[in-house]
Amino acid sequence: MSLIQNRVPTFTRTPVDRGVQDRPSPEPTVRPRHEVKETEEAWGLQVDLPGVAIDGLEFTAEEGHVTIRGNRGWKVPPGWTMLYRESADSPYELVLQHDHSVDVDKIHAELKDGVLSVSLPKAEATKPRRITVT
Amino acid sequence: MRSLMCYTNPGSSLLPSSGLGDRPWIRFGSDIDRWFETALSGLAAPVFDNRFAVDVYEDKDNTYVRAELPGVARDDIKVEIVDGYLSISANRKTLNGENKAEGSLSVSRSISVPENVQADKVAAAYENGVLTVTLPKQEEAKPKTIQVSVK
Repeated sequence: MSLIQNRVPTFTRTPVDRGVQDRPSPEPTVRPRHEVKETEEAWGLQVDLPGVAIDGLEFTAEEGHVTIRGNRGWKVPPGWTMLYRESADSPYELVLQHDHSVDVDKIHAELKDGVLSVSLPKAEATKPRRITVT
Repeated sequence: MRSLMCYTNPGSSLLPSSGLGDRPWIRFGSDIDRWFETALSGLAAPVFDNRFAVDVYEDKDNTYVRAELPGVARDDIKVEIVDGYLSISANRKTLNGENKAEGSLSVSRSISVPENVQADKVAAAYENGVLTVTLPKQEEAKPKTIQVSVK
């Protein structure tokens, strides 16, 4: 058994190794629909966050990952009865890893009509460089 | 957790992957995580294809329909009442980052609404990517007293 454990560490790893404890919140969250695009200059990220106002949005860039959390600001007004429901109440949460190739200081984010557009410029060191051959 | 980057096979790297030594499966765990993430990601996210999430509420005066339509310009939302159905259609314009080409995605949905709606007084508001349609209820026909004079 110890031989297997030595060869295949996956069998014995704890949730901590899988980064599960990194989750900032124990409450259930919804992963929003999102799209990642890449150009030579930057990564472009577009996240659908319907129902999230600017004061309900939390956007943090930490070591190696960016975290987007959105709380829906709307509450059911008193007197309203729910007849049919498809949307969820739980906040949105999206964690994306990167390999430090993002210039964290130049991140630009904009929230409009429930869509968050983020531009994550690439760090100078990771941009493609043309090497002149002599 | 998902990566911003596309997955690159560690074996195809330019540099020899050192340090793995006699434990070739050390990366296996994160590979499995990634497969599950990819396979299950479609289940977790609400899909904006042709069915956007819709909620229906009611109070004593109105019926309310709330639809999640992120990123749609107000002019591109159409709300209609036809034959006891509320039909919401929206056209979402998408900008492609690379060649600035403009694409668009049309979505529409019909919801059955109660019959006693005053169709001419329906109002709609759009905020933070959520459309709220207010459908006022018909006032109940007030009982009228008819006086019959007996001769």
